[in-house]
Amino acid sequence: MKGKEWYQADDVADEYDDKRFTGGGELIDLREKQAVLDALGPVEDKRILEVACGTGRFTVMLAERGADIIGLDISPAMMAKGRKKAQRAGVSGSVEFMRGDAARLPFPDDHFDAVFAMRFFHLADTPVTFLRELRRVSKEQVFFDTFTRPSTRVLYNWLLPMGSRLYSKRDVESLLADSGLSLAAATHDFMLPYGFYRELPGAVARPFRTVDTALGSTPLGDAVASVSYWNAKKE
Amino acid sequence: MKESLLDIICCPIDKHDLELEVDEKDGDEIISGTLTCPECGETYPIEDGIPNLLPPDMRDEVTA
Repeated sequence: MKGKEWYQADDVADEYDDKRFTGGGELIDLREKQAVLDALGPVEDKRILEVACGTGRFTVMLAERGADIIGLDISPAMMAKGRKKAQRAGVSGSVEFMRGDAARLPFPDDHFDAVFAMRFFHLADTPVTFLRELRRVSKEQVFFDTFTRPSTRVLYNWLLPMGSRLYSKRDVESLLADSGLSLAAATHDFMLPYGFYRELPGAVARPFRTVDTALGSTPLGDAVASVSYWNAKKE
Repeated sequence: MKESLLDIICCPIDKHDLELEVDEKDGDEIISGTLTCPECGETYPIEDGIPNLLPPDMRDEVTA
């Protein structure tokens, strides 16, 4: 099954959060949420667009912090989960979900204060096209993550049901240059790939994460990280 | 979606403002309806509260 079909299947949406972000996967969820919060700063009353919002993990979190946010995705099954999450959190008033194509966004130029996409570029077949479009609708900031090569992710990729594109630092630098963006900050994490953590119960995963984080803060860390977070600004 | 979203969204193809026709509402939420681009004539459905602003060439490509 190709990535797009796999992603939109109802049963995949049903299990998505449970399979990925419980047990050891919760450590991934927390780290990703921190990365988003660190990059976007205080979000109160900011206009934010999340591309590839999925089940709204970040969308709802940012709405709870006062952002005026739109989550865009290709899968209605995923966003149905997001809508429920927003209702439970009592933030339906400041969240909108919609289906759309990240290469042809239904927004005018320079509309959002920040635009971000998590876990998107590893499934993007034409990354420059997408990044240019994200830039077009943002006034200033574009934030995204990539899975890195070389890293342990190379091995993990063999096990995945969908394709997954890996980026070297140089790949991202040329992607930014081609999209009219400049790099404001980058952070790198996860010497052990996401799939490793997901397979473990939380209590077993935590000590590995402690070692992973400790190694990550050494000079070696950035070189072996499997995930990178890129905070870019319009030139 | 809420009606205020209309101030933001536009046609994904030509970026023209869209016109809204509501079929079903639940309080402020528009549950179903149609968005129409008066410029190119394209229509975009709203289903289960979620507007489908995929360009027409992508709409039928992938279904669950």
